[in-house]
Amino acid sequence: MVNIEDLKEEARRVLKGGKVKYIIGYERAPDSWKANPVFLRTPEDVDKLVWDPTCFHNLVRFLVDEKRRKAREKPVDPRPVGIVAKGCDSRAIVVLLQEKFFERMDVFVLGVSCESSGVVDERKLAKKTAGKNVRKVAFGENQNFVVTTDDGTMEIAASEILADRCLDCIANVPVVSDHLLGDKAKRTVARPFQAVEKMESLSRDERSAFWKDQFKKCIRCYACRSACPMCYCEECVVDTINFAVTADTSAEEKAQRIKWLEKSPVDSENVFYHLVRAIHLAGRCIDCGECERACPVNIPLRMLNKKLEKEAKELFGYDVGFDADQPALISCFRDGDPEDFIR
Amino acid sequence: MDKILAKKDYPQWLAKLSSYRIYAPRKKDDVWNYEIITAADGDRLEDVMTAVPAKGIVFPQREFFFEFAETNDNGTRISELLPEDNPVVVFGVRPCEGKAVTLTDLVFGGEFEDPYYWKRRNATTLVGLGCAQPPSPNCFCLSVGGSPHSKEGLDLLLTDLGEAYFAEALTKKGEKLILAGQNLFTEPKPGDRTKVEKIQAESRKKIRRELSRIDNVPAKLKGMFDSSLWDDESMSCIRCGICTYLCPTCHCFDMNDEVETASPLSGKRVRTWDTCQFPDFTMHSSGHNPRPDKASRLRQRINHKFQYFVEIWQKYQCTGCGRCISLCPVGIDIIKVVEKVRDHGA
Repeated sequence: MVNIEDLKEEARRVLKGGKVKYIIGYERAPDSWKANPVFLRTPEDVDKLVWDPTCFHNLVRFLVDEKRRKAREKPVDPRPVGIVAKGCDSRAIVVLLQEKFFERMDVFVLGVSCESSGVVDERKLAKKTAGKNVRKVAFGENQNFVVTTDDGTMEIAASEILADRCLDCIANVPVVSDHLLGDKAKRTVARPFQAVEKMESLSRDERSAFWKDQFKKCIRCYACRSACPMCYCEECVVDTINFAVTADTSAEEKAQRIKWLEKSPVDSENVFYHLVRAIHLAGRCIDCGECERACPVNIPLRMLNKKLEKEAKELFGYDVGFDADQPALISCFRDGDPEDFIR
Repeated sequence: MDKILAKKDYPQWLAKLSSYRIYAPRKKDDVWNYEIITAADGDRLEDVMTAVPAKGIVFPQREFFFEFAETNDNGTRISELLPEDNPVVVFGVRPCEGKAVTLTDLVFGGEFEDPYYWKRRNATTLVGLGCAQPPSPNCFCLSVGGSPHSKEGLDLLLTDLGEAYFAEALTKKGEKLILAGQNLFTEPKPGDRTKVEKIQAESRKKIRRELSRIDNVPAKLKGMFDSSLWDDESMSCIRCGICTYLCPTCHCFDMNDEVETASPLSGKRVRTWDTCQFPDFTMHSSGHNPRPDKASRLRQRINHKFQYFVEIWQKYQCTGCGRCISLCPVGIDIIKVVEKVRDHGA
């Protein structure tokens, strides 16, 4: 089991030595059972660090912010940023390295193995605890979670309340790290695409009806995009007026600006938004599941990304986010490409 | 008008309201939301906090202002598209949401009345369900001038007595609803009123979260525009629209022309929700953005709720429903942020 004191010791060591600018980790949220992202700047801050099944967030998302901050920084602090990364999060780092979003020396990875566990699903937990006020969730023995509510402590089998992304996880151990904590035994998943396969077995009309129904719920808060470490475009297609508008853009140019989608949360626009996002994540999504967790109306967004992950695997034998030296799927070409039009 | 309705008669009451479009909280894919229901769906009234607040019924995320079309003689035809004023009733409204509607009333009323808002608002009857238990662990209505049984903004308040509801009609619209189901309601027995008061007193004690001593916050915020607190508190913000879109009091909107045919030109002018948390919200056509980063956007959210609104209307623009806390993907907690403002420099 990961010893939090080991994590703290290493975090203190690198902060004390000035090896990193700051460390992105998890702290206990005030008045809540959940962890929150925290930014540790001094060795004393490290006392706040936690590691438990509520460390849901993919903190790599904040490395995107860091890059933007660094671009404005004067003078530039060249030191890396430390980051606590689970297996899935570490795969996001690999993709960003492949895409040359940052360099390996820009990050100091404190890898944490999820071992045979993972993070909890808030909705599954709520059902299991039947409305009781949850105070704490901890890793327990025998693949159980120890859940403390106002009524006392209960043990729940991890498989019952683990997030779906953890049940499908193919990288419980971080694939890139400077300091790795926890058991390094890799877990295998018999059928990582089970949910997608089930969806594929339905008829086109059934699938169409399913997604239409799901996208209807979307309120276009863009939490799915905002939580995603891969959604790092300077200008997102949904932020309508930022496109190429500068002080020099004429009124006529602005009037002729292409509006890709309307703000209205109607079927056509919702579908357009979600499919654009899904396509942009093909061969890039590492299934951290943060889009789905962030969604306030519970749209099964992971399934879209999982489908494209499956396509990448089946068509190109490509596993996303395992090898930083491999070219990114969409920026390389092989003679054996199944499409012949390209030759 | 105080009445008693046996819970088993609730579906029959709904059946008597056939002239209304009825909304009530329904669960779909593990998420509660107000949905249009028929009397047959209304087997019981659910005691929950929805994801999207009831504001979406009087102030929908998308609505039309007018439609425009080029005419054959090179002219333009514009026709106003006012919403229908068919009667609507919303069941299970939380008292914090009723209070929130009184705040949007201020914004869309007064000197410049918004006919689109008021057409819906006037046609809508809000039936509150007092909170015997806080429906969210992050409820803090008591701290911002509300209560789990606040009557503000509601037309009728139901209090759960176990086997029956104690129904208090608070407006003519509320009375009309009771009259529609007249023979289902009985007179309260002596002691029922005391029961209600006891339940209400008990429920106040069950609220977990508190935002205390904030009287100085509006004045304090005035001097904190350039504080580094906004950078610190927004570090983990991911810039989504959850906190504002799902806030029962947030009311900012955008207007766009949605073109349906290019030649001849035709389409609609549409109003949609908008939020100060999006980068294009304050984007000027010059390319300058006065709120270029998440720190300035968090500051705007807090300032609007705890300074600007207070200056204009002498009320906080927050009714303590806790949605922005519970649903924030990174756990930004408005209570903690406002407490930090309160204690800043102390």
